[in-house]
Amino acid sequence: MANNYEFTPEDLKEIETIKAKFPEVMPATLPTLWVAQRRFGHVEPEVQHLVAETLDLPVSHVHGVATFYTQYYKEKMGKYVLDVCTTTSCQLCGGYDMLHYLENKLGIKAGETTKDGMFSIQSVECLGACGYAPMMQITNDVYVNNLTEEKLDEVIESLKADKMPEFESVGMPQHTERS
Amino acid sequence: MPEIFIDGKRYEFEGKPKLLQFILDNGKEVPFFCYHPEMSAPANCRQCYVKVGTPVQNRETGEYELDENGERVIRWFPKMQTSCSMEMTDGMVVHTQESSEEVARAQKDTMELILINHPLDCPICDQAGECPLQIQTYKYGPEGSRFEVKKVHKPKRVELGPRVTLDAERCINCTRCVRFTEEISGTHQLTIASRGDKNYPITAPGMEFDDPYSLNTVDICPVGALTSTDFRFKARVWEMNQTPSIDITGGKGTNVDLWTRDNLVLRLTPRYNENVNTHWMPDESRMAYTKFNENRISRPSIKADGDNQIKTSWNNAIETFAEKLEAVKPADVLVLGSAHASVEENYALMKTFSTWGVNDFHFSPDVKEGFGDDFLLTDDQAPNTKGVKALGFSETSAEDLKAAIKSAKVVVLLNDELVDRGVLGSEDLKKPYVISLATNETETSKSTDLVIPITCIAEHAASYVNVEGRIQRSLPAKETKYTHRKLDLEMSEGRLDRYGTNFDNWVNEDNKVDCTPTWELMNNLGKRLGLSVQFGTSREIMDEIASSNSSFEGVSYEKMDDENGIQLTGMNKEEVSA
Repeated sequence: MANNYEFTPEDLKEIETIKAKFPEVMPATLPTLWVAQRRFGHVEPEVQHLVAETLDLPVSHVHGVATFYTQYYKEKMGKYVLDVCTTTSCQLCGGYDMLHYLENKLGIKAGETTKDGMFSIQSVECLGACGYAPMMQITNDVYVNNLTEEKLDEVIESLKADKMPEFESVGMPQHTERS
Repeated sequence: MPEIFIDGKRYEFEGKPKLLQFILDNGKEVPFFCYHPEMSAPANCRQCYVKVGTPVQNRETGEYELDENGERVIRWFPKMQTSCSMEMTDGMVVHTQESSEEVARAQKDTMELILINHPLDCPICDQAGECPLQIQTYKYGPEGSRFEVKKVHKPKRVELGPRVTLDAERCINCTRCVRFTEEISGTHQLTIASRGDKNYPITAPGMEFDDPYSLNTVDICPVGALTSTDFRFKARVWEMNQTPSIDITGGKGTNVDLWTRDNLVLRLTPRYNENVNTHWMPDESRMAYTKFNENRISRPSIKADGDNQIKTSWNNAIETFAEKLEAVKPADVLVLGSAHASVEENYALMKTFSTWGVNDFHFSPDVKEGFGDDFLLTDDQAPNTKGVKALGFSETSAEDLKAAIKSAKVVVLLNDELVDRGVLGSEDLKKPYVISLATNETETSKSTDLVIPITCIAEHAASYVNVEGRIQRSLPAKETKYTHRKLDLEMSEGRLDRYGTNFDNWVNEDNKVDCTPTWELMNNLGKRLGLSVQFGTSREIMDEIASSNSSFEGVSYEKMDDENGIQLTGMNKEEVSA
């Protein structure tokens, strides 16, 4: 497969450090895929080939690993990927309303990317933040909790200005009561 | 010696066998899908559950603790264990589904889980009839499914590679195919993608499953997920008849089964032989079956005017054969044996002609340098090079062969596609009168003056000596015009053969080829020439060879059958060269 992707020397150095951590090269697959995703924004088949080549592992193995984890993007995504949780707690607290609001606002459906390549929306399973439902995660990173339509407007505006929202610590009810 | 108690019966064992293999080796059964004796045991199908316990032992004295009845106290594993990955220890107590309701229930529940997303398409599935999932569901599975919602849908008819087609919905993700590419063929071409409820085996994107051994994954697939693109939907398993045979496309002598229906060979599958190929065979060899069915020479043909061949009668063929010989001296006749023909055929040819007066016999080896691997493919492209040599045929190079043909007046050529494989050009066969005994219509048979059809490996019982000097034999699978399944005791019958009649619409007389074994042809020729040669069946010919040729000492069909082939003494593995 002809490959248009290439790791920078810094990436390769980082991969070497990763490899040095393990007695075998296979466990380095996951962190190396992260290095690739950070560099290219996704791990498309071509990137999977690059990772396999770099680690000298079978491509099939890298493919198997990459397809298991939803956090690795197997196709090109927007600069910001909005993972809106729609599992039970979020669903009951309006997760789908938030999802649909986002869809209308950005003019795309869940699973799609805006034309300018800024945003992708995904409807995802539980992210383990049921206490702050409804919530979403931005590009495998910051959680945005207790979503409302206004809050979503704000988040989108700040992302358009390339500013990630701050992580907000939300105490669990029992903690807030005590303080 | 360490002991183990399985279903209340005591067995002794040595080393550290795995429980499932030990149970199978002792003629008992535990259902399983993912385990394969040649590969690692990942224990991921969870079907081979058994209840296992070990005796409680006093750590200081090493004595077994006994209960009030004087029986050993058994400490059971808290959960069922997968027997495929369970290492046996001294004093272990095992209950399989035969002696434990609990185990039977656990296996049934596992099966229900495996079947949840499995489509109910057995009626159109190629695997039906030889499907471990189907068989074991009947034996150990639940009677119905409690799963009432829609099954998960996965890709169907995926062309994994040039020879293998995947139906992902049928897959139970046992990973046998993945492990095959990792551990046996070493190409690492397959992986399980999208692990979860939508998982199935696939190649990496942009890659093809073109492993030279890819079709073995079809054989070991315990369901109908991986199917042979060539054999797909051609025949139901129970319509076919299975006959043990030998692969003739290479020097390894891979043991195979020929699957026939109405005297057509429909597929080849590997047959287990621990000394040769174990469970595997190369893809290359699987297409050999087309040669048994297609382009067969039926009835002798003779060159009439110019280069046109016309069909002729057997009488005329034998008569012409004899007349052409009688017109020349034995020294002017070149007799070419063949590494592509069996020991018996070459022997019959040699004996007849040496009785008539021919002294030297030649054959042209068929070796492709660099074709072999360290596994089942060999540089030697012929199944019987060592056998022909042992009979006394001398290996002859292409140049010497051309010169010999030029100086001969009559050439007798036993089944060997010399022109097709580039040893000779068709113009080399122009000058002498060439009589070929052949199975298939080829460029070679077209360039000869008299073509006499002989049986191929699928139609006769005959022996072949592989590159390692191991002699193995075939059994007839296809009837010719002159043989009959019910009369030839070497032949077996499938259901359609047994219960069908000639008037059934699935029976086609045309599938029977008008040909005879070489030794019968030699009988007729010998009789016409007034020679004192007489051959019986190939079994008797082998006895004759064994008593007259020291290389074949002690060889007989009975022994070959009992021992799955015989290693000939004085023949070790040395590469044949061109």
